Amino acid sequence: MDSVYDWMVQTPINGLVMGYPWTWPALETFHFLGLCLLIGAVLIMDLRLIGFQSTIPLRAVHALMPVAIVGFCVNLITGLGFLFGDPHLYVINYAFWVKMGLVFLAGINFLFFYFKVEPRLERLGPHDATPMIAKTVGALSLVFWFGVLAYGRLLPYLGTGGG
Amino acid sequence: MNFLTSLEESAFGVWVSTSLVGYPLMITLHAIGMAVMVGISVALDMRLLGWFPGIPYTAINRFLAIAWIGFTINLLSGTALFCMQATMYVQDGTFLLKMTFVLLGAVTAAFLQGALNRNSASWGASAPGGIRVLAAASIVFWTAGMVTGRLIAYLV
Repeated sequence: MDSVYDWMVQTPINGLVMGYPWTWPALETFHFLGLCLLIGAVLIMDLRLIGFQSTIPLRAVHALMPVAIVGFCVNLITGLGFLFGDPHLYVINYAFWVKMGLVFLAGINFLFFYFKVEPRLERLGPHDATPMIAKTVGALSLVFWFGVLAYGRLLPYLGTGGG
Repeated sequence: MNFLTSLEESAFGVWVSTSLVGYPLMITLHAIGMAVMVGISVALDMRLLGWFPGIPYTAINRFLAIAWIGFTINLLSGTALFCMQATMYVQDGTFLLKMTFVLLGAVTAAFLQGALNRNSASWGASAPGGIRVLAAASIVFWTAGMVTGRLIAYLV
Protein backbone atom coordinates (compact mmCIF):
# COMPACT_ATOMS: atom_id res chain seq x y z
CA MET A 1 0.00 0.00 0.00
CA ASP A 2 2.88 2.35 0.81
CA SER A 3 4.29 1.94 -2.68
CA VAL A 4 0.96 2.99 -4.23
CA TYR A 5 0.92 6.03 -1.98
CA ASP A 6 4.54 6.84 -2.85
CA TRP A 7 3.74 6.57 -6.54
CA MET A 8 0.69 8.84 -6.22
CA VAL A 9 2.60 11.66 -4.54
CA GLN A 10 5.19 11.60 -7.32
CA THR A 11 2.72 12.08 -10.19
CA PRO A 12 2.40 15.37 -12.12
CA ILE A 13 -1.12 15.77 -10.71
CA ASN A 14 0.30 15.85 -7.22
CA GLY A 15 2.83 18.43 -8.40
CA LEU A 16 0.03 20.62 -9.77
CA VAL A 17 -1.93 20.44 -6.54
CA MET A 18 0.97 20.89 -4.14
CA GLY A 19 2.79 23.45 -6.27
CA TYR A 20 0.08 26.06 -6.82
CA PRO A 21 -2.25 27.48 -4.14
CA TRP A 22 -5.20 27.89 -6.53
CA THR A 23 -5.32 24.33 -7.83
CA TRP A 24 -7.32 22.97 -4.91
CA PRO A 25 -10.00 25.72 -4.91
CA ALA A 26 -10.25 25.39 -8.70
CA LEU A 27 -10.74 21.61 -8.37
CA GLU A 28 -13.38 22.20 -5.70
CA THR A 29 -15.22 24.75 -7.82
CA PHE A 30 -15.39 22.42 -10.82
CA HIS A 31 -16.36 19.53 -8.53
CA PHE A 32 -19.33 21.58 -7.29
CA LEU A 33 -20.32 22.55 -10.84
CA GLY A 34 -20.12 18.92 -11.93
CA LEU A 35 -22.25 17.76 -9.02
CA CYS A 36 -24.93 20.35 -9.84
CA LEU A 37 -25.12 19.11 -13.42
CA LEU A 38 -25.24 15.49 -12.25
CA ILE A 39 -27.79 16.00 -9.46
CA GLY A 40 -29.98 18.30 -11.56
CA ALA A 41 -30.23 15.86 -14.46
CA VAL A 42 -30.55 12.80 -12.21
CA LEU A 43 -33.22 14.47 -10.08
CA ILE A 44 -35.39 15.31 -13.10
CA MET A 45 -34.94 11.85 -14.69
CA ASP A 46 -35.51 9.93 -11.44
CA LEU A 47 -38.53 11.99 -10.39
CA ARG A 48 -40.07 11.22 -13.78
CA LEU A 49 -39.25 7.51 -13.34
CA ILE A 50 -40.93 7.49 -9.93
CA GLY A 51 -44.02 8.99 -11.55
CA PHE A 52 -43.75 12.75 -10.99
CA GLN A 53 -45.05 14.66 -14.02
CA SER A 54 -45.93 11.45 -15.83
CA THR A 55 -47.40 13.40 -18.74
CA ILE A 56 -43.83 14.07 -19.92
CA PRO A 57 -42.69 11.30 -22.28
CA LEU A 58 -39.92 9.22 -20.69
CA ARG A 59 -37.89 9.56 -23.86
CA ALA A 60 -37.87 13.36 -23.53
CA VAL A 61 -36.49 13.27 -20.01
CA HIS A 62 -33.99 10.60 -21.00
CA ALA A 63 -32.35 13.24 -23.21
CA LEU A 64 -30.85 14.68 -20.01
CA MET A 65 -28.55 11.66 -19.70
CA PRO A 66 -25.57 13.36 -21.42
CA VAL A 67 -25.79 16.22 -18.90
CA ALA A 68 -25.52 13.71 -16.05
CA ILE A 69 -22.62 11.96 -17.75
CA VAL A 70 -20.73 15.22 -18.32
CA GLY A 71 -21.28 16.14 -14.66
CA PHE A 72 -20.06 12.73 -13.56
CA CYS A 73 -16.94 12.91 -15.76
CA VAL A 74 -16.05 16.39 -14.46
CA ASN A 75 -16.30 15.02 -10.93
CA LEU A 76 -14.34 11.89 -11.74
CA ILE A 77 -11.49 14.03 -13.10
CA THR A 78 -11.54 16.59 -10.28
CA GLY A 79 -11.96 13.75 -7.78
CA LEU A 80 -8.79 12.12 -9.08
CA GLY A 81 -7.17 15.53 -8.68
CA PHE A 82 -8.07 15.54 -4.97
CA LEU A 83 -7.05 11.92 -4.49
CA PHE A 84 -3.66 12.24 -6.18
CA GLY A 85 -3.13 15.68 -4.67
CA ASP A 86 -3.42 14.47 -1.09
CA PRO A 87 -3.93 10.69 -1.03
CA HIS A 88 -3.29 10.25 2.66
CA LEU A 89 -6.15 12.63 3.50
CA TYR A 90 -8.64 10.30 1.82
CA VAL A 91 -7.46 6.72 2.16
CA ILE A 92 -7.57 6.89 5.97
CA ASN A 93 -11.08 8.37 5.98
CA TYR A 94 -13.89 5.81 6.21
CA ALA A 95 -16.34 8.45 4.88
CA PHE A 96 -14.38 8.56 1.61
CA TRP A 97 -14.79 4.81 1.18
CA VAL A 98 -18.51 4.99 2.00
CA LYS A 99 -18.87 7.73 -0.62
CA MET A 100 -17.01 5.66 -3.22
CA GLY A 101 -19.16 2.65 -2.32
CA LEU A 102 -22.30 4.72 -2.93
CA VAL A 103 -20.92 5.90 -6.30
CA PHE A 104 -20.29 2.24 -7.17
CA LEU A 105 -23.84 1.28 -6.14
CA ALA A 106 -25.25 4.18 -8.18
CA GLY A 107 -23.25 2.90 -11.15
CA ILE A 108 -24.55 -0.66 -10.76
CA ASN A 109 -28.08 0.73 -10.42
CA PHE A 110 -27.61 2.73 -13.62
CA LEU A 111 -26.26 -0.28 -15.54
CA PHE A 112 -29.21 -2.34 -14.34
CA PHE A 113 -31.53 0.43 -15.53
CA TYR A 114 -29.79 0.73 -18.90
CA PHE A 115 -29.68 -2.99 -19.76
CA LYS A 116 -32.72 -4.40 -17.96
CA VAL A 117 -35.29 -1.69 -17.32
CA GLU A 118 -35.04 0.75 -20.21
CA PRO A 119 -35.81 -1.84 -22.93
CA ARG A 120 -39.08 -2.54 -21.10
CA LEU A 121 -39.90 1.16 -20.85
CA GLU A 122 -39.42 1.62 -24.59
CA ARG A 123 -42.20 -0.86 -25.21
CA LEU A 124 -44.66 1.09 -23.06
CA GLY A 125 -47.45 3.12 -24.59
CA PRO A 126 -47.97 6.78 -23.60
CA HIS A 127 -50.67 5.93 -21.05
CA ASP A 128 -49.16 2.82 -19.51
CA ALA A 129 -48.20 2.99 -15.87
CA THR A 130 -44.51 2.98 -15.01
CA PRO A 131 -43.48 -0.50 -13.84
CA MET A 132 -42.57 -0.87 -10.17
CA ILE A 133 -39.02 -1.90 -11.06
CA ALA A 134 -38.49 1.45 -12.83
CA LYS A 135 -39.83 3.36 -9.82
CA THR A 136 -37.52 1.37 -7.53
CA VAL A 137 -34.47 2.05 -9.70
CA GLY A 138 -35.36 5.76 -9.79
CA ALA A 139 -35.81 5.95 -6.03
CA LEU A 140 -32.57 4.07 -5.33
CA SER A 141 -30.70 6.36 -7.71
CA LEU A 142 -31.82 9.39 -5.70
CA VAL A 143 -30.88 7.74 -2.41
CA PHE A 144 -27.42 6.80 -3.70
CA TRP A 145 -26.56 10.15 -5.32
CA PHE A 146 -27.78 12.29 -2.41
CA GLY A 147 -25.84 9.96 -0.14
CA VAL A 148 -22.74 10.63 -2.25
CA LEU A 149 -23.37 14.36 -1.90
CA ALA A 150 -23.87 14.20 1.87
CA TYR A 151 -20.82 12.02 2.55
CA GLY A 152 -18.76 14.15 0.20
CA ARG A 153 -19.67 17.30 2.08
CA LEU A 154 -19.02 15.65 5.42
CA LEU A 155 -15.62 14.17 4.48
CA PRO A 156 -13.62 16.67 6.58
CA TYR A 157 -15.90 16.11 9.59
CA LEU A 158 -16.16 12.34 9.74
CA GLY A 159 -13.16 10.01 9.34
CA THR A 160 -10.47 12.53 10.14
CA GLY A 161 -11.94 13.36 13.53
CA GLY A 162 -12.87 16.99 12.90
CA GLY A 163 -12.03 19.81 10.48
CA MET B 1 -26.87 45.32 21.53
CA ASN B 2 -25.86 45.38 17.85
CA PHE B 3 -28.31 43.23 15.85
CA LEU B 4 -25.61 41.17 14.16
CA THR B 5 -23.88 40.43 17.44
CA SER B 6 -27.19 39.43 18.99
CA LEU B 7 -27.65 36.92 16.13
CA GLU B 8 -24.21 35.48 16.79
CA GLU B 9 -24.86 35.21 20.52
CA SER B 10 -28.41 33.87 20.24
CA ALA B 11 -29.07 30.33 21.41
CA PHE B 12 -29.44 29.23 17.80
CA GLY B 13 -26.28 30.99 16.63
CA VAL B 14 -24.29 29.44 19.44
CA TRP B 15 -25.74 26.00 18.73
CA VAL B 16 -24.74 26.11 15.04
CA SER B 17 -21.24 27.31 15.94
CA THR B 18 -20.43 24.98 18.80
CA SER B 19 -22.47 21.81 18.60
CA LEU B 20 -20.99 18.71 16.99
CA VAL B 21 -24.04 18.41 14.77
CA GLY B 22 -25.03 21.99 13.96
CA TYR B 23 -22.38 23.15 11.51
CA PRO B 24 -21.95 19.89 9.55
CA LEU B 25 -25.73 19.54 9.33
CA MET B 26 -26.14 23.09 8.01
CA ILE B 27 -23.39 22.85 5.41
CA THR B 28 -24.73 19.47 4.22
CA LEU B 29 -28.24 20.90 3.85
CA HIS B 30 -26.69 23.87 2.06
CA ALA B 31 -24.91 21.57 -0.42
CA ILE B 32 -28.13 19.63 -1.05
CA GLY B 33 -30.20 22.78 -1.57
CA MET B 34 -27.54 24.17 -3.91
CA ALA B 35 -27.43 21.01 -6.02
CA VAL B 36 -31.23 20.94 -6.29
CA MET B 37 -31.70 24.66 -7.07
CA VAL B 38 -28.73 25.16 -9.40
CA GLY B 39 -28.95 21.72 -10.97
CA ILE B 40 -32.62 21.94 -11.89
CA SER B 41 -32.43 25.63 -12.88
CA VAL B 42 -29.50 25.07 -15.22
CA ALA B 43 -31.12 22.02 -16.83
CA LEU B 44 -34.34 23.96 -17.40
CA ASP B 45 -32.42 26.99 -18.69
CA MET B 46 -30.75 24.66 -21.18
CA ARG B 47 -34.23 23.52 -22.26
CA LEU B 48 -35.24 27.16 -22.85
CA LEU B 49 -32.07 27.59 -24.92
CA GLY B 50 -33.18 24.74 -27.17
CA TRP B 51 -31.71 21.52 -25.77
CA PHE B 52 -33.96 18.52 -24.92
CA PRO B 53 -36.81 19.64 -27.20
CA GLY B 54 -39.01 16.71 -26.15
CA ILE B 55 -39.73 18.27 -22.75
CA PRO B 56 -42.87 20.42 -23.06
CA TYR B 57 -42.61 24.01 -21.81
CA THR B 58 -45.63 23.39 -19.61
CA ALA B 59 -43.70 20.72 -17.70
CA ILE B 60 -40.82 23.01 -16.78
CA ASN B 61 -42.69 24.87 -14.06
CA ARG B 62 -43.48 21.66 -12.19
CA PHE B 63 -39.78 20.92 -11.89
CA LEU B 64 -39.04 24.54 -10.99
CA ALA B 65 -41.26 23.96 -7.96
CA ILE B 66 -38.74 21.34 -6.83
CA ALA B 67 -35.94 23.82 -7.45
CA TRP B 68 -37.66 26.32 -5.13
CA ILE B 69 -37.69 23.67 -2.40
CA GLY B 70 -33.89 23.57 -2.79
CA PHE B 71 -33.79 27.36 -2.63
CA THR B 72 -35.82 27.36 0.58
CA ILE B 73 -33.51 24.78 2.15
CA ASN B 74 -30.62 27.10 1.32
CA LEU B 75 -32.38 30.19 2.59
CA LEU B 76 -32.86 28.50 5.96
CA SER B 77 -29.47 26.76 6.19
CA GLY B 78 -27.79 29.90 4.85
CA THR B 79 -29.42 32.00 7.56
CA ALA B 80 -28.18 29.51 10.15
CA LEU B 81 -24.64 29.72 8.79
CA PHE B 82 -24.87 33.50 8.61
CA CYS B 83 -25.81 33.65 12.29
CA MET B 84 -22.49 32.07 13.22
CA GLN B 85 -20.42 35.00 11.99
CA ALA B 86 -22.89 37.69 10.99
CA THR B 87 -20.53 40.62 11.62
CA MET B 88 -17.81 39.06 9.48
CA TYR B 89 -20.11 38.13 6.61
CA VAL B 90 -21.68 41.54 6.12
CA GLN B 91 -18.18 42.97 5.60
CA ASP B 92 -17.01 40.16 3.31
CA GLY B 93 -16.98 41.28 -0.33
CA THR B 94 -17.02 37.73 -1.67
CA PHE B 95 -20.09 36.89 0.42
CA LEU B 96 -21.90 40.05 -0.68
CA LEU B 97 -21.05 39.25 -4.30
CA LYS B 98 -22.45 35.74 -3.84
CA MET B 99 -25.67 37.13 -2.37
CA THR B 100 -26.00 39.47 -5.35
CA PHE B 101 -25.68 36.58 -7.81
CA VAL B 102 -28.10 34.41 -5.83
CA LEU B 103 -30.64 37.23 -5.76
CA LEU B 104 -30.24 37.79 -9.51
CA GLY B 105 -30.63 34.06 -10.13
CA ALA B 106 -33.77 33.84 -8.02
CA VAL B 107 -35.38 36.91 -9.60
CA THR B 108 -34.61 35.59 -13.10
CA ALA B 109 -36.04 32.17 -12.21
CA ALA B 110 -39.21 33.75 -10.85
CA PHE B 111 -39.58 35.89 -13.96
CA LEU B 112 -39.03 32.93 -16.28
CA GLN B 113 -41.59 30.95 -14.28
CA GLY B 114 -44.16 33.70 -14.76
CA ALA B 115 -43.43 33.95 -18.49
CA LEU B 116 -43.76 30.18 -18.85
CA ASN B 117 -47.12 30.24 -17.08
CA ARG B 118 -48.54 33.05 -19.19
CA ASN B 119 -47.08 32.68 -22.66
CA SER B 120 -45.37 29.37 -23.35
CA ALA B 121 -48.34 27.89 -25.20
CA SER B 122 -47.57 30.27 -28.07
CA TRP B 123 -43.83 29.72 -28.24
CA GLY B 124 -43.53 26.90 -30.75
CA ALA B 125 -40.24 25.16 -31.37
CA SER B 126 -37.98 27.81 -29.85
CA ALA B 127 -38.57 30.29 -27.07
CA PRO B 128 -38.54 34.04 -27.82
CA GLY B 129 -35.15 35.78 -27.96
CA GLY B 130 -35.67 37.69 -24.72
CA ILE B 131 -36.47 34.46 -22.85
CA ARG B 132 -33.36 32.80 -24.25
CA VAL B 133 -31.21 35.75 -23.10
CA LEU B 134 -32.66 35.44 -19.60
CA ALA B 135 -32.09 31.69 -19.59
CA ALA B 136 -28.44 32.22 -20.50
CA ALA B 137 -28.15 34.95 -17.86
CA SER B 138 -29.66 32.58 -15.30
CA ILE B 139 -26.94 30.00 -16.00
CA VAL B 140 -24.30 32.72 -15.54
CA PHE B 141 -25.87 33.97 -12.27
CA TRP B 142 -26.17 30.55 -10.63
CA THR B 143 -22.67 29.50 -11.72
CA ALA B 144 -21.20 32.76 -10.44
CA GLY B 145 -23.16 32.38 -7.19
CA MET B 146 -21.72 28.93 -6.68
CA VAL B 147 -18.16 29.91 -7.56
CA THR B 148 -18.18 32.95 -5.24
CA GLY B 149 -19.78 30.82 -2.53
CA ARG B 150 -16.94 28.32 -2.70
CA LEU B 151 -14.34 31.10 -2.74
CA ILE B 152 -15.62 32.76 0.48
CA ALA B 153 -13.44 30.40 2.46
CA TYR B 154 -10.36 31.28 0.42
CA LEU B 155 -10.67 35.04 -0.07
CA VAL B 156 -10.89 36.28 3.51
